[in-house]
Amino acid sequence: MRNAIAIAKKELYLYFTTPIAYVAFFATSFIGAWFFLSLTASFQRQSMQFMQFQAPQMMERMNLTDMVAAPLLVNMGLILTFVIPFLSMRLFSEERRQKTMELLMTAPLRSSEIVFGKYLAALVVLAVVLAIVAVFPTLLTIFGSSSAGSAIEWQTVGAGLVGLFLCGAAFLAIGIFVSSLTDSQVVAALITFFVLLLSWMVSWKAAEAEGAMREVILHASSVTHLVSFARGMVDLKDVVYFFSVIVLGLFLTHRAVEARRWA
Amino acid sequence: MIEVTQLTKRYRDLTAIEDLSFRVGKGEILGFLGPNGAGKSTTMRILTGFQPATSGTAKVAGFDVFEQPLEVKKRIGYLPEIPPVYPDMSIASYLRFVAELKGVPRKVRRDEVDRVAEAAKVSHVMDRLIANVSKGYRQRVGIAQALLGSPDVLILDEPTVGLDPSQILEVRELIRSLAGQHTVVLSTHILQEVSATCDTVLIIARGRLVAHEKLDALQARHPGRSLDEIFLQLTSDTRGAIAPPPAPESTEAA
Repeated sequence: MRNAIAIAKKELYLYFTTPIAYVAFFATSFIGAWFFLSLTASFQRQSMQFMQFQAPQMMERMNLTDMVAAPLLVNMGLILTFVIPFLSMRLFSEERRQKTMELLMTAPLRSSEIVFGKYLAALVVLAVVLAIVAVFPTLLTIFGSSSAGSAIEWQTVGAGLVGLFLCGAAFLAIGIFVSSLTDSQVVAALITFFVLLLSWMVSWKAAEAEGAMREVILHASSVTHLVSFARGMVDLKDVVYFFSVIVLGLFLTHRAVEARRWA
Repeated sequence: MIEVTQLTKRYRDLTAIEDLSFRVGKGEILGFLGPNGAGKSTTMRILTGFQPATSGTAKVAGFDVFEQPLEVKKRIGYLPEIPPVYPDMSIASYLRFVAELKGVPRKVRRDEVDRVAEAAKVSHVMDRLIANVSKGYRQRVGIAQALLGSPDVLILDEPTVGLDPSQILEVRELIRSLAGQHTVVLSTHILQEVSATCDTVLIIARGRLVAHEKLDALQARHPGRSLDEIFLQLTSDTRGAIAPPPAPESTEAA
């Protein structure tokens, strides 16, 4: 564990002395703000319309949690499909290209500690990305609250944030595995992006499919599981989905790192 | 200190080293000589546990490299052919990171980093990024990294490549000063390097051992010839009927 932390510290040093982490933070805050503004604008437009048509029963059903915060979190999941490959691409590819893997593999530490340390550092950066995302619902609480109470139902948003973190962690596990397969950062990033986007897009096919096929597609797709978190439901099957991807990704990475010795 | 028995490494259809056996005594400096592609780097990678051997065993300080890799790795400082440095790190933070990896206790880490930086003569550039220093400095950082934690065994793959003549002399001086407490294996294809730094020389060609003896004994067996000529002769006719050379007596004590 001590060794894994040494590796994690080095990775964090490299994240923050190179532009990578900052590019990821910028992309999240900029695109997040874009989504946030258009979601609040459409919320505003709708509430104006309902007020005009004097539809109080509709007004009652409108709330910022379901109409702004939840869709924002799901959209941020899509943003993660291209932010995560950025964060994971150099983890192993760069070590291999720079021949620094030889240092790590001949130092007194296990390859599982190398994998875990690198993953840990990436999770820390992911946590910062999520902290940026959490700013948007916080803004709603600060400026949108009235005597009727908080504008946001934080249990729901909290569940959504946990879901987004698990989703990001699963994406990172896929990314770190792809990174361990190639010497090229660009190839690692592109393949990871392709896999993650595919896991997202496959849900679009569910609309056309029927019966068992539809179920399979929905359960395989990352977006389905994220949506149920964003609605405030912490369901065991969604947690199991993300954890399985994480464990599988890290296991395969460890295998890939070990296999390099025998090549 | 180092004991290699019938070591063989094959890559698919290529045999990198074949049936290599030798011993290196404690405190000895062994020069590992051979033409390019002779299997020097491969042998070093096996000794450091970076690559497994196809067959045969290698032991460092009594521990089998394959059975107890962590014990071996704790006792080895290794400079690979290409210095394993991170261009985006400063020299100071890089050395601190490696010290931490090698388990140098937190209290003495700073002193240890200063000590090796002093020894490898990089203390005046500690805050520069590795990307911005010359090849010679990267090589020196690589040497400093290998010295961290004063390992019993140092394995240096071409330690003087990329250095200017005065730096080469300094590094040789440094290696000589390590004799006694550390066992050093250094590979090179510069013959003067061997005569300047090593006690014993081990010559391999095409993955096979062709000579392993004290430098002066080797000279004595080939009277009137320079080291270059001996080297050329030994490495060219490996397929000839050369009898396996006798192992030097001093290494038997290990």
